[in-house]
Amino acid sequence: MATTTATITLSSSDITDNALSISNTATLTTAGTDTGITETTGLARVKTNSGSNTLLLDFGLTGGVAQDITADKSAKVYIKNVNDRGDGTKFVNILIKTREIGRLYGGDWMLIPYSGGDGEDIEYTASDTTETTLEYCVFYE
Amino acid sequence: MATTTATITLSSADLLSDNLSLSATTTLNKGGTTATGLDQFRMERFILAPGTGQVDLIEATTAASEDANYVYICNKNTDPTHYVVVSIYDVVIGRLYAGDWMFMPWDADVVALGAGGSAIEVEAEVADITLEYCLFHNGETKTASDDS
Repeated sequence: MATTTATITLSSSDITDNALSISNTATLTTAGTDTGITETTGLARVKTNSGSNTLLLDFGLTGGVAQDITADKSAKVYIKNVNDRGDGTKFVNILIKTREIGRLYGGDWMLIPYSGGDGEDIEYTASDTTETTLEYCVFYE
Repeated sequence: MATTTATITLSSADLLSDNLSLSATTTLNKGGTTATGLDQFRMERFILAPGTGQVDLIEATTAASEDANYVYICNKNTDPTHYVVVSIYDVVIGRLYAGDWMFMPWDADVVALGAGGSAIEVEAEVADITLEYCLFHNGETKTASDDS
């Protein structure tokens, strides 16, 4: 088994009257166990010039980077918009099953659990047709 | 404005044949701005009982709709079989097991989906789940009190 950790630190010295500091480390394990996750896509990078929905993770091996994620387990997905923030008007919408989750502006990242399942693809839509670059990594069983 | 940063470090010495070490930091800014930081947030810790079905963790509001909002959620339980299912309305994002955390942007799209349609929902499975969450947002629409 492998030991993979994900640590988050949220900090601000001025969003409240006192400093905010939240830190947490999760060890990525298979569902319902203390056994470390042993499969990953590794870190990958994709680019698009499309302003339409674009497939990032096709659940079911029908396209994109081949995935072999078991549904309803303990998969985790990391995505980062590596573009510059620019004037802050360009972003990438992240979607699951065509439902908008949220906007990743330049430099933003996310880490979410991912259940997968029939039609539960992860897609992204850039806010314009200038080149957009994303990095992602999936940990799964 | 405030300056709030979110940093992630992903690391493993034995998942791959070489070390995995990934780190990223972003500043939580308002949408449509170069560097104006979000200056509103709320944080809560509570116990969610199983058997109640999906409950709204965070409801979307017009003030936050289609903007830059960020959500952190952590399952504070320690039994590895305890998890919550996190959804946006009827779309399941995934299962957050004991000790796991997640951090994601949130569109809060009231315009297209209505307040309930983009609410972040959670459902406890197996046992009581102690959840912590923190929402960094660009505004909330408060409703008038009953005696106003």
